Amino acid sequence: MAGTRTRRGAGSEQSRTARAAALAEELHHECTLLLDLYRKKETFAEELTVGGESLVTVPPLSSQLSPNDMLWRLYSALQQCRNLLERAIGREEAVGNGGDRAQYENQKKTVRDRLGHLLASTRLLLEDGAGTAAFTPEPKNSEIDYPGNGSPFALKLWIYRIFNELEHWTLTASKTLKALHPDGATPKERRTRGRARGRRTRR
Amino acid sequence: MPSLFLGILLLGLRVTESQASGLAPPQQVRLDADTEAQKLLVTWEDGRASTFDVEILRTELMEIVFNETVVATEDQSTGKHQWNWTSPVPLECTSLSVKVRSRDGQDVSEWSSQQILPGLDLPDNTDSQMYPEGKTVPVGSNMTFCCIVKEGQQFGSLLYKDTLVKETMLSRRTYATTMTNQGPSNPSGTNVVCSDEKKMIITGAVVFVGYPPMPSDLVCETHDLISVDCQWSKGRETYLFGMARQTYYTLNGRNCSKARDSNMRCGLEQWDGNWTLVARNLLGEFRLTDAAELGHRVRPVAPVNLTTPEVYSWNASVGWLWKYNGYERLSLICQVQRTSHSNSSTQTYTGYGLNTVVLKDLQPDEKYNVKVRCGSQKNFWKWGEWSLPLSFQTKMDRPVAPDIWLWMDSDNLGRVLWKPLTKSESHGQISGYEVTLWSPEENSQQTLTLPQSMYSLPINVTDRWSKVTVTARNPAGVSLPANVVIPRHLPDAEDTTISKVTFNGSGFPLSWVAHANASCGYVVDWYNTSCTHDCNVEWTRVAADNTNTMVQSSNFFAGVRYTFSLYACSSESTVLLERWHGYMQELVPSRTVPRLSPNQEGSDVQLTWDQIPLEHQRGFILGYTVYLTNASHLTLLANITDPQLTNHTVKNLVLGSYKFTVKAYNAAGEDGGATVSISLDPYTYWLIMEILVALGTMTCLLIIITIACYRKRKWVKKAFYPDIPEPKLPGEWGITQGTLDVKPSPHSMVHIVEDSVWDSSKEALVTVPEEDEEGTGDEEADTDEPASLRYYNQVVEEGSSSRGRPHASDSSASSTGSMDSGHTDVTYTGIQTSACSLAPMAHFQPQPDASQCAGGGGYRPQMQSASCPEDPQTGPEEHLQPPVGSFGGYQPQCSWKQDSPEADGGGLDQACLGSPTSVTSSQFLLPYDTSEEGKEHQSSASTWFHNLLTGKP
Repeated sequence: MAGTRTRRGAGSEQSRTARAAALAEELHHECTLLLDLYRKKETFAEELTVGGESLVTVPPLSSQLSPNDMLWRLYSALQQCRNLLERAIGREEAVGNGGDRAQYENQKKTVRDRLGHLLASTRLLLEDGAGTAAFTPEPKNSEIDYPGNGSPFALKLWIYRIFNELEHWTLTASKTLKALHPDGATPKERRTRGRARGRRTRR
Repeated sequence: MPSLFLGILLLGLRVTESQASGLAPPQQVRLDADTEAQKLLVTWEDGRASTFDVEILRTELMEIVFNETVVATEDQSTGKHQWNWTSPVPLECTSLSVKVRSRDGQDVSEWSSQQILPGLDLPDNTDSQMYPEGKTVPVGSNMTFCCIVKEGQQFGSLLYKDTLVKETMLSRRTYATTMTNQGPSNPSGTNVVCSDEKKMIITGAVVFVGYPPMPSDLVCETHDLISVDCQWSKGRETYLFGMARQTYYTLNGRNCSKARDSNMRCGLEQWDGNWTLVARNLLGEFRLTDAAELGHRVRPVAPVNLTTPEVYSWNASVGWLWKYNGYERLSLICQVQRTSHSNSSTQTYTGYGLNTVVLKDLQPDEKYNVKVRCGSQKNFWKWGEWSLPLSFQTKMDRPVAPDIWLWMDSDNLGRVLWKPLTKSESHGQISGYEVTLWSPEENSQQTLTLPQSMYSLPINVTDRWSKVTVTARNPAGVSLPANVVIPRHLPDAEDTTISKVTFNGSGFPLSWVAHANASCGYVVDWYNTSCTHDCNVEWTRVAADNTNTMVQSSNFFAGVRYTFSLYACSSESTVLLERWHGYMQELVPSRTVPRLSPNQEGSDVQLTWDQIPLEHQRGFILGYTVYLTNASHLTLLANITDPQLTNHTVKNLVLGSYKFTVKAYNAAGEDGGATVSISLDPYTYWLIMEILVALGTMTCLLIIITIACYRKRKWVKKAFYPDIPEPKLPGEWGITQGTLDVKPSPHSMVHIVEDSVWDSSKEALVTVPEEDEEGTGDEEADTDEPASLRYYNQVVEEGSSSRGRPHASDSSASSTGSMDSGHTDVTYTGIQTSACSLAPMAHFQPQPDASQCAGGGGYRPQMQSASCPEDPQTGPEEHLQPPVGSFGGYQPQCSWKQDSPEADGGGLDQACLGSPTSVTSSQFLLPYDTSEEGKEHQSSASTWFHNLLTGKP
């Protein structure tokens, strides 16, 4: 099936994959920025890491998987990320700590919007694209809901972990989509490989 | 055995002591913890004492936390004692062991059984935790945080915000830190993070540090005369945010849910008269109160639906509506603010239920914006809000009369000028101007219609017109006429005094003496002084009772000289009274002095230049400075403070090149400077003059000498050239041979070297007239000792002084030969020597010079020597041969060079002048024959002159 699909619309699929990879790369940059903003907002020392089990649970993305299966798993992980982000935004609004955090709030919205675009782009790449795929149900993760029992720090740590998951999975999406692209690089990256590499170095 | 015995003994003593005190230990000790407040309530029974010893330990490490004697009264209803203790450390951090004993003075009971308050660090509670979590405390609080690490996990560090803090171990899994004097938190609280040794976050807590609310300035008022609207200030920031920690307000017990952020207001439906505002957050509450009657707190709402029922040129009416009917009975005071394009003014109106006003003093054809606000006239409280603005435009009206002025460009030509009408004067768009020229004498007029863009009309004042009228026209009509009289006699500007006026920052202040004939006031006009054609003229009018004004204009520019003229205005004419010159700001001259030139006058240099043209002066020229320029260095030579003086002389300069710089200066400074160079020449003319004077003086002196000599020529001749007596020859001279006596110097020996050539044609001695002797320039005359020489005519007498020396007569011949020095060489030897030396000398001059016989004319006695024809040694042929290159006469005494070419007797530079001279005197030996007329004149003049130049007498 994959071979058939590739033969039917190889050009358009490559273009879609490239666009999704570019989108994932850009989203990863936005997620990194969001993580930095949150770290500064909460004065979390940069050397501190968050532990615990991953909030996003999907089977490992093994290289033995077919591209379609990899896309499926990636799509599932990104969908969980979106659910977690939506819940985090909702919890923060409920707490309503307010203050002058306009940049942080805008960045959250930016990440949310672009994550939606990436999900849509990734969905089009799936074997049964165009919305006809039968998606697997969302995994029931015990930590998907706010686990803190009203503890402000637990909520902060939970959000911090969500943003870390976002940063991780958007990076994974970027790499996976680039790997799925025949040239192994997005058009944008091919155009500005040197500059992009430099930007990553600065991070 | 001994130790066992000792132990038993001590135990027995203790039992005995307890039994002896009679105090029973507390029973049923119970611990109740308030973890939120970190309080521990200890209760026990059966304690008859009122004081107890309480000991609290951390169970795991057995560290005493508290050990004091406390007072605990018995609750009569329950019969229990209770005591509260506030722990500095959250009670969850670790287990605490508590025991109590009764005390009565020094008597104490046994300790109660130890009660343990279990902490959350027990093994069965494996999760990591931190306490206290989510607590809200005031700024400045001290707090202890404890971190319980997960079972089996290794503690790493504690961070307060992002600062590493020092921890204390409370139990195997619990570590604590104490923060003192905490500052305000950020909006999401202050984080305390506990991490393991791998820097991974184990757990954490958030503390919210802030202030209790403190609002102020509660004020309640009514807008609708029914309800109440209260406002207050938020006051100090609480630093507490979020739904749980923000400040909540209530007004008279009703929640003010809309009072957030900066909108601190709350309303009630009915006027209560007394209001209490309560502000509350987790740290406390604050109360504010206010009380007032309704009539004292009326603040009307903003009028709505503004309209302009009637609009005219100069006034208009404005109406509006009120939102509440209650205003109809309310005495209102309203402000109407109207704003035109440049002006804004506010007028106040009053009335019950006021809803219409008439705006007066409006400008025609003007667009206005109006807005209204009102207040209660009685017990005025505050102005209400401004209404929304309303715009309208007044109608047009005829324009005002233009301001006209007559400006004379020349004696006969002038311009009628009028100022453009401003917006407030035109009352509508000006469509044009009408200029009417009047001649009352001839009862005639001429009207010209000019477009709106023209503001002047040239006229000839010599025409019959005597008055000019100007009117402006717009769509609403024609303005009133403005008149100006054409003067019959022009004011004489030359006689008017001109003074300077200084700009004072805002204008030129002018003042003058009142003039009697200024019935319609004064006019001050001004223009650019350097302007010559079609100048921009401005003017202003001053009332008749004013004698000063401040001339202001937006057209004044720095560095431009303006001329201000004051005219007295009457219905008949205008009279020029006074004039001023002034600069708004003086600038340095924009150019250098023109036509700077140097002129050498001997050792002085005069510099001259012209004045800077007026338009370039840019200030009142105060003078000039003259510099000597050396490279880039200027040395001040003179400061000329008279601006009319345009020359300067630099004196006493030595020869060389100079550069001079002349700068004009005014109050703003000097110009760039004009430089001129000059190279001082040597004083050629002066030297020439000196030479000429010297030559003239010498010439005069020579003339005087010449005249003197001429007048005294006889004396001169006598003194310098005395007559030599003519030889007196007795008898016939032709055949008679006589002796010419010559008295030679006894001490001189003259050797006459005669040329051997003998002119056979001169066989006889030629008589030389006495006059010729005078003309012989080659001869010297010794007036002091007249010559006494004797010449022999060829035959020398024997026995004479030359006897024995056959050639001794040759000396005479030589003397004769000296008459023609071209034929005779004369060698003087042995001058001033004795005569005995003559013999050998004669040996060298044996030959008589026969050529001397054929020498030049004149007396040549030697030629007549007998030796010429009789000389046996020389034939006639030899005498006929003239000597080539030899001299006919003998050499003068001074010549010792026999063959010297300089021996030519004709040279004036030879002192002897070619004439034989006595060795003992300077007298010429052979004066010329005076009979030779041709030579007389020449010889006497030249001889005299030569004598004069050579200084010989």
